Amino acid sequence: MKQITVAIAGQPNVGKSTLFNLLTGSRVLVANWPGVTVEKHEGFTEYKGYRIRFVDLPGVYGLSALTLEERISRSYILSGEADVLVALVDSTIPERTLYLPVQILEMFKKVVIVFTKYDLAHKLGLHVNLQHLEKRLGVPVVAVSARSGLGVSFLLDKIIEVAEHGGRGDYLRVDYGELEPFINSIESKLSGCGALAGYPLRWLSVRLLEGDAELARVVSEKCGSKIYEEVEEIRGEAKRVVGSDLAAVASSKRFAFITSITSESIVRLRLQQPTRSGSIFYHPLVGPALSILIVLSIFILAFIINTGFPLNVILSALGYRELAEEVEALSLSNLMSTSLGWLQELARSHIANPVLASFISDGVIGGVASILIFLPLIFMVMLILSIVEDTGLLPRMAVGVSTLTSRIGLSGNALFPITISMGCNVPGVFGARASLSSGERLRQILTLPLIPCQARLIVLLALATALKTLGGWLLVFLGYLTAFASFAVLNYIFYKLSREKEPVPEMLLEIPALHRPLGRVVWWMTWNNVKHFIAKAGTIIFASSIIIWALVSLTPGLTYTEDASASIAASLSRFLAPAVYPFQITGGKAWIIVFGLLMGLIAKEVFISSVITVSGSPSFTDAISSIGLSDPQIVAVGVFITLYMPCLATISAIYSETRSLKLTLLSIVLSITVAYAASTAIYYLILVL
Amino acid sequence: MLTLDLAKPGSKVRIVNIDGKGWVQRLYQMGLLPGSIAEVVANYGVGPIVLRVMGSEVALGRGIARRIVVEEVKEG
Repeated sequence: MKQITVAIAGQPNVGKSTLFNLLTGSRVLVANWPGVTVEKHEGFTEYKGYRIRFVDLPGVYGLSALTLEERISRSYILSGEADVLVALVDSTIPERTLYLPVQILEMFKKVVIVFTKYDLAHKLGLHVNLQHLEKRLGVPVVAVSARSGLGVSFLLDKIIEVAEHGGRGDYLRVDYGELEPFINSIESKLSGCGALAGYPLRWLSVRLLEGDAELARVVSEKCGSKIYEEVEEIRGEAKRVVGSDLAAVASSKRFAFITSITSESIVRLRLQQPTRSGSIFYHPLVGPALSILIVLSIFILAFIINTGFPLNVILSALGYRELAEEVEALSLSNLMSTSLGWLQELARSHIANPVLASFISDGVIGGVASILIFLPLIFMVMLILSIVEDTGLLPRMAVGVSTLTSRIGLSGNALFPITISMGCNVPGVFGARASLSSGERLRQILTLPLIPCQARLIVLLALATALKTLGGWLLVFLGYLTAFASFAVLNYIFYKLSREKEPVPEMLLEIPALHRPLGRVVWWMTWNNVKHFIAKAGTIIFASSIIIWALVSLTPGLTYTEDASASIAASLSRFLAPAVYPFQITGGKAWIIVFGLLMGLIAKEVFISSVITVSGSPSFTDAISSIGLSDPQIVAVGVFITLYMPCLATISAIYSETRSLKLTLLSIVLSITVAYAASTAIYYLILVL
Repeated sequence: MLTLDLAKPGSKVRIVNIDGKGWVQRLYQMGLLPGSIAEVVANYGVGPIVLRVMGSEVALGRGIARRIVVEEVKEG
């Protein structure tokens, strides 16, 4: 079967994910672009005897190598790996979104242009003469609508046609007006350099004139510094003659070219403005209030489904104790741990060899369990985020909160990773990519692990049940309060230390029109992110579970033991017992808390089960009282657990995002320091009060 | 002539000059360049300024807006 490789390019919000999903269905491979952490999606479809491979290029506004995404897209297009490029135009804002396809046509010949959201544009009274556009651009122009599926098979036909018979004979020529003489002289200099054979020379010349640093480097490497210096000379001359920013002139010529085509081929019948709903978010008071309200209600709902909290607490406070227990029993995490406990029991009772039985039930099933425990929550968080993102609500919320977040050196875009981190820090750390500057991204990666995730909520709730006189809500409240306060303070300090030139972190964000989410796309985005979590974090969590099993099941003499208090981990914890002295937790059983903290590195909620196991108590409350913790100590431990160190999965996420051992270590040291400072302060504060 | 952060909400402005490096290219790509006309959708004196340019809304931080010189366009 003949294979065709098709790259899909489009600006953000033009409906690229939707089209990609429509074309490939669920057969999608997710990988990273070589050497970077930007996700690469690939999908396949079979059509009329062809196997078509679709590569989803990152959403970019242009191809100036301004961002990592633009560099990836540009070098992929230049690599020639794609047989055909599908360039997307948003039919509702055609002039703006034609900018990228025009840039592509200047450097690539086999292109199919797709007008997305065609039905929506029709409703707005916008009509496009596709044939005329085809004539002017020299490549097929196809209209599609994801909602109705209109135009998809026609698009596939055109892709095959272009792959087989070629697109344009030459590259698109945009009239650059006063820049033309300079473009021509650069081009003639470059044509003397054989190493550039195969490069679209005119495009290259325009880009060099615009001051493209990356391409300048390519030219000086391939053609030597002499040609490069000559090009720089022409550029200097152009600056003097034209007298304004050359990149601005080039961009405005491209837009002038676009307008010259669209004025002939696009008709607006009724002058219906797109709806302005959602501008309420721009209000400086209503915006943040509404945004935070939305985020909170979303997460409270997710919390209730996952752990029963806070509905169970509210119900029991109102006197409906039975109903509260019912809610808790039906929560996803409880259902999950019940069924996994049953499975572990089954393994233990059916495997004769005690070492193997323990390995299978505690190591393997336990390891799988610690991944699965996260799944429902991550799934829900991703689902909700996909909906908020797909409807266009998220960017509005980012604008809404930006006045607040800018105080601690973060742009409004930070709402996104902060919110996910409340579910799980791992996707939160990945979500820091939404930030505008690399400095802000780094600050987010280092501080996001302080945001309490669901696992830490579970530990806080368990500790709350062990309190004797203090109210459980106080512990949960203090845990979240100190976590968010440390997050804010650290960000503020880092921001001040980094001394960036910009007075406030800048927002530069397109806000797409609000629209109804498309079920298929939401599902697809959700599932993709969940798979990403399983692949990235799951393997690390699983491997470390096996290692932990060994530490807990083997004595220092490397013989198998069922008594965890005789294990390597226990000896290590006894050695590290002074770690909890700051909370005046001393005595023979202090090491159990240290043991729990060590185990909690796999995933924070493992603290609960490991403390129960080594103390030999039937329940967590019994375990805590057998260790003899006072209420202030329980609160201090709760706050400490919330902050003390990112779990292994988060640490691995930090490493894979920063690719720096130093920064990963910094985040660990940082969180331990913050944890000690905050929890000892709270401990003595409660003692004094 | 005024800087964009001072433009009145609801008004239409023509961009005269943008002063900056790097990020200005992103503005160009979004259709915000010298000569283009934008409508000020929101400007509350604090927080980002929202513009409508070429049919789509763009939120800009005030620091960016301060570096954009515009002139008001009278509707006629």
